[in-house]
Amino acid sequence: MIETDGLVHRYDETAAVDGVSLTIDDGEAVAVVGANGSGKTTLVRHFDALLEPDEGTVRVDGRDVTEQPVYARTRVGMVFQNPRDQFVAGTVGADVAFGPENLGLDRTEIDRRVDEALTAVDMAGRGDERIDRLSGGEQARVAIAGALAMDPDHLVLDEPLVGLDRPTCESVLEHLRSLSASGTGLVVVTHDLRDVVDLVGRVVGMADGRVALDAEPERALDRLDDVGVRDPRC
Amino acid sequence: MLTYEPGDSLAHGLDPRGKLAVQFGLAVAVFAYPTARGFAVGGAVALAALAAGRLSPLRVVRAYWAVFLFLAVGPLVGGAALGDPWFRVGPAVESLRSVARVVPVVFVGAVYVRTTPVRETRAAIQRVVPGKVGRLFGVGVGLVFRLFPVVLADLRATRRAVHARAGQRRPLHDRVRRILTRGLARSFLRADRLTLALRARCFAWNPTLPSLAVRRRDYPVAALGAALAASPVLALVP
Repeated sequence: MIETDGLVHRYDETAAVDGVSLTIDDGEAVAVVGANGSGKTTLVRHFDALLEPDEGTVRVDGRDVTEQPVYARTRVGMVFQNPRDQFVAGTVGADVAFGPENLGLDRTEIDRRVDEALTAVDMAGRGDERIDRLSGGEQARVAIAGALAMDPDHLVLDEPLVGLDRPTCESVLEHLRSLSASGTGLVVVTHDLRDVVDLVGRVVGMADGRVALDAEPERALDRLDDVGVRDPRC
Repeated sequence: MLTYEPGDSLAHGLDPRGKLAVQFGLAVAVFAYPTARGFAVGGAVALAALAAGRLSPLRVVRAYWAVFLFLAVGPLVGGAALGDPWFRVGPAVESLRSVARVVPVVFVGAVYVRTTPVRETRAAIQRVVPGKVGRLFGVGVGLVFRLFPVVLADLRATRRAVHARAGQRRPLHDRVRRILTRGLARSFLRADRLTLALRARCFAWNPTLPSLAVRRRDYPVAALGAALAASPVLALVP
């Protein structure tokens, strides 16, 4: 479970996240929506202890993430907006193995996790391929596999569909639906709800660093104007 | 820019420690013997390495053209003089001999880069250099291999962006300034993003490294590296 309590994060004098209290249960699929600069990315980066709160706390399974950042990062997998920002190795297998290697797991367990993660995103048997020769959609799937190999309870995806064409979007969404069905919690950050409205069971809308909307998708659709997000029915 | 490419060549199957030994030994040998025989041995080792890695020398020259251009300019600069005669052959030949020592080392290095995954290099370094120094060195090499091609790609992208808006009409110094300042800014941005990615994926100084295994075919490679490295000392034996 991910909990934030009175979370504040400032960039200089500007509060990007301003007193956010939120609870995300295990297995829950949540869309975090909002206009550019509303604080979505800053908020979710706190789930992974990639930023330090100016005020308030963030807990994963009841543990303060600033005190136990490695625990938070193993339970909450992060997929960055641009997959290329996430890759730290030249080949698919080496990159997916990077996280488990850092956890000090033995080679058999690492290989098992890599195989499972690549299978989950339909990239089984492609571990030797160079990442820079993959298509955008394949790179997005490898980025997801890299996070899955940490065996997380939650997967946070920051604008996972930006820059992808329609068939590739569908492919990525299909894999996310499959992960959600298998019990992995999803937190999908987006400024466009159209693609993920069928995927999530809850919509959290951010505006000016605050939670301006927190509802089921059906009810949230009528209030999207409040958070500067396009209504997917339009 | 050459980077690791999976493959099944002989060089791909060799233990990285042996390959590093050959590189080190070759560098020692060619600098210890700036003679025709030394060049011949260096050239032979470089050609053997290229064959073992199934790598064309032309591809290496294309990938590292800036290095070769720099080396080629050396003898011209070395022979240039500020008075009559404007070009002196003696210093140019001397400079050429120095440059010629570097060429086989570049070729062998290129074969290594193309045939060795970065994490195997890190594993080899950490096994050869024990303790914190080895870990620090291994991580440093890994980060350089990861960042350098990305930074180069950014520089090329900046240059394309300058050209796309008729930037070539601007003076050379203005273009160079723009590309360098943007390149530097992008490098910092890249480093920042890479740091974030490393933290998100639990970067560790002492991770589980790939297992390295010495096989029968690695022995002659290691022996060659050792012989090359020891060649200056062996030459002193009467």
